Order: sequence, then structure tokens, then C-alpha cells
Amino acid sequence: MKMETTAVDSVTVVRCEGNLDTNTSVEAQDTLNQLMDDGAAKILIDFEKVDFVSSAGLRILLASAKRLSSSGGGLRITGLNDVVNEVFEISGFSTILDVFASEEEALQGF
Amino acid sequence: MTISESSRLRTGWDLLILVLVLLSCLLVPFQIAFRHQVNLAGSVLLYLIDLFFLLDIFLNFHTTFRRQGAEVTDPGEIARHYLGTLFLVDLLAALPFDALLLPWRGVEIGGVSVVLLARLLRLLRVVRLFAILRRWQRQNWTNAGFLRIAKLAAVILLLTHWIACAWFLIPYMEGFPEDSWVVTEGIDEAEPVSQYVRSLYWAIVTMTSVGYGDITPVRNTEYLFTMLAIAVGASIYAFVIGNIASLLSNLDRAKASFWNRAETANQYLRSRRAPSRLSEHIRDYYEYVWERYRGMSEQELFGDLPGPVRLEILLHLTRDLLEQVPLFRHCTPALRNALLMALRPQVFGPDGYIVREGEVGNEIVFISRGTVEILTEERKKSHGNLGSGEYFGDLSMLLGERRTASVRAVTYCDVFVLAREDFDRIKSEYEEFKEILKTISSEKSERLSALVLDGVVL
Repeated sequence: MKMETTAVDSVTVVRCEGNLDTNTSVEAQDTLNQLMDDGAAKILIDFEKVDFVSSAGLRILLASAKRLSSSGGGLRITGLNDVVNEVFEISGFSTILDVFASEEEALQGF
Repeated sequence: MTISESSRLRTGWDLLILVLVLLSCLLVPFQIAFRHQVNLAGSVLLYLIDLFFLLDIFLNFHTTFRRQGAEVTDPGEIARHYLGTLFLVDLLAALPFDALLLPWRGVEIGGVSVVLLARLLRLLRVVRLFAILRRWQRQNWTNAGFLRIAKLAAVILLLTHWIACAWFLIPYMEGFPEDSWVVTEGIDEAEPVSQYVRSLYWAIVTMTSVGYGDITPVRNTEYLFTMLAIAVGASIYAFVIGNIASLLSNLDRAKASFWNRAETANQYLRSRRAPSRLSEHIRDYYEYVWERYRGMSEQELFGDLPGPVRLEILLHLTRDLLEQVPLFRHCTPALRNALLMALRPQVFGPDGYIVREGEVGNEIVFISRGTVEILTEERKKSHGNLGSGEYFGDLSMLLGERRTASVRAVTYCDVFVLAREDFDRIKSEYEEFKEILKTISSEKSERLSALVLDGVVL
């Protein structure tokens, strides 16, 4: 999975492309860990070009959100397609992970 | 300290009590009919037997019992259960009330000491005999047929003996008139054993309708009693001997059919040398299913009823589920009905696996009753329990992934399963279904997150 990182003010925006599943989750975890080790406190992940998120992907997102939250920062997510968004909503993850409809909304007040 | 009802100690004790019950129920009428007076040996024997029954009462207060397939071990519950069932009968049958009349043992009614007549209360012990046989029938259900025959044999033995004793007692109480059958047979001064044998002979001959005609009634009282004996005996013998199979199945056809299936399953396992623990599990499962559902499958029973009627029945039968599971509290009536029609009920016994690690997630399981444990088999780790009103299986189904943990029943569990295709259909037909799921899943999201972080996907 391709992950492109940019900075918007104090927020690190990570744009992903591909699938976040068992095969790509390790690399994605490493990327996020590196960002957090380098001091990123606010991370916004854009899933607009991601077709599928597996349980391994969910685990990474939850772990990262937990780590960022404990250090006073936060993780936000945007760009989920209908299928992935439905999984987040029905399983209840959308109440733990901050999910937004657009990047603008996600960056507001972050 | 409690004693398991299925322990060897209790079974052995029950066997002793059974023998003592039979002994009491044979001895007391015999003493009345053929001894007439209190004698030392007989009294000592009876009072010794009474001690055992008093001890039995004490043990009954500490013996577990089964309710809906599960063994109840709480001492308070055991005591309350016993007090509400056989305690009073056992007490009346065990306490030697006749001992209070010993100072008046010379007082007679119809030539029989009042002390002996007071001993008739001990015949109440026959209730304990049937309770023991019923308990053994439940525990040793592979020999259920044999135990049913044993119960029948006990009834026949006791009735025959009692009728024999009464047959001799009647002329005795009348003072052995010259025209009584006893005097006619010339046994009025014979040994009690001979008197008993003749009486028993008559009882059997009469009750089986053989009627040789060698001992016949002469007096009116004897005729009346003979008619009673014929009515009782002929009814029992003709009915039982002629209709044993019919009697057993007519007592409870559904029960006989259900336990026949259960027995067949167990016989098959025994022939395949399955561990006895497995047989016990199956026995306990069948007992639970019988007590909870009378062995019926609701789907089989009501499957061919019209939809609205079936729905009305389901609303009644699933009221536990409707109260326990939060999903149903938020549903519109239409959505609730659609879900109820789609849900499949299942029952799991303790240690039964509801879902297994590695299976593809194709259903959501709602727990109506019971407790389950989440286990990862590879790491042999428990990830906590779920109870009534909770559900699982949604995440693996939504993601289309295999489950990474198993769910095992801790207690007997009544669950309802919603298959993937029904879930998808209802989700597309009822927009509010997704909103309701969002609402209720937010209540369990913390727990779910912890599980996912731990690698558990159900």
C-alpha cells in the first residue's frame, strides 16, 4: 500500500492508496510508528483511495489512536468508502476513531 | 458440605434406603396381620430402620438435585427444595410416633395393638422408593427400561403383599368366625408363616384372575374384599402384562420418543467406545433440552403454520430474548418481526463450542440466556465472558474474515443465530436496522476495541 505524507499546519496528513490488510499492515504500522517517534502528535489518515480495511488494519488504527491519545494528540480518519464506513459504523469503531466525511472537516479544530 | 446426587455414596445409600423401604412396607403390614401384638425383636428392628430414615432426612438436606439439567449445589437452595417437596412425607414416615403409644400397647382395635396400627404411617415410605427410582431413571437413563420395570415390580410386590395381609386380617379382626375362610382352611392356629403363605397364594391367584377356587370367600366381608382385590389386581395385571409397551409410551409419548432418541445416541457412543464424559455431557444436554423445550424443536413444530400465527407464537416464546438483547428494544415492530422470523434458536451445553477459531464468520449470535467464554485456542488464553443480552460474530461477518477466537459455553446457553444472508436482506429492507446497530455497538465498542487490539476477531 502506498502511503504519502504531508504536513498541514501541525497535522501530519497520510494519504493511503491500495488495501490496508494483513499483507500491508506491517509496513503501514512501521510508517505510523516512525511518524509518532518523530514527534507527530496529530495524524490525519486519508482513505479515499483505499478499497478495503481488514481487521489487521483496524488493529493498527486502534493502536495508533491509543498511543496518540495517551500523549495528548489524536488520530483522525477521512475518505472512507461506503463499505469500509459501514464496517466502522456497525461494529462501533466510528465512536472510538474520529471519522470525518472530508479532509476539511477533519482538519477543522484539530 | 453437599453430596452429589449422582455420587457413589449417595447411590449406595439410596440402595440401602430402597431395601429398608421395602422391608418396612413388608414388615409393618405383616406384623399387624400375623403378629397382632408388639414384640421386642420386631420393634427393635423397626426402630433401627427408623434411625436410617432419620439419617436419610439429614442427608437429603445436603444432597444436590438437578434443575433444568444443571446440578444445584447451593445448600440453601437444596434445603428449600427438599422442604417444598418430600420433607413432610419423609418426616411422617421416619418419626416413630408409635413409640409414644408403647405404654398403651395392650390396647387393641379389632384384636390388633394400637402400637402396630400406628406403624402404618411407615407405609408412606413408599413415596421415597419411587423418588429413588425416578432419580436413578434420570441418572442411569441407559437402563431406563429396566428401571421402569423395577418400579412396576415394586408396585405389584407391595400391593400383592398388602392385599394378602388384609385378606388374613379381616377374619382375624372378626375373631375367626367358624365360617371364615381361615377356619375353613384350618389355619387359624397355624404358624404365621403358613398363614401368610396361604394368604399370599390367594392374593396372587385372585389378582391374576387365575382363581383356582380352593380358597374362596365365605362371609360378606370376605366377598367385598375379594371384589376389591379382583378389581385392583385384575386391573393391574391384565393392563400391565397385556399392554406394557402401550403403558410406557402412553404415559408420555413425546417423552418416550425423546428419551428413546437420546438413549439411541448414547448406545451408539458406547458401541464406538466414546469416553463416558461424553455420554454424561450428552445426557445432561438432553435433560436440559427436555426440561427447557420438552424435546421439541420450535421450527419443526410451527414451521407449517401461517406466517402471522408463527410470528405470534415466536413473540411469546422469545420474550426472554426480547427483554435481554438491547437490539430489540430499539427496533420498530416491523423490524423486530423480520428479525424474529429469521433468527434460528440453538442450545449449547457447558463446554460446547458455539463458534470455533478459524471458521469463516457467517452469522451473528445473540445470547438469550447463559454465559460464554472467548478463547484463543492457540494461545490457550481467555478473553473474558459474554452474557445474556450480548452478541458476537458481527465483525468477522462484516469483514468477511475467519474468526480468530472460539466462543465456548460456560453454562447452558440459549442463543439465536442470524445468518449472513438474512442479515444482508434485513439491512437492505430496513434502513433503521443499520442505525440501531450503530447505536447498540457504540455501547460495546470499548470492549470490541480491546479484543481487536488483542487480535481477537469474532
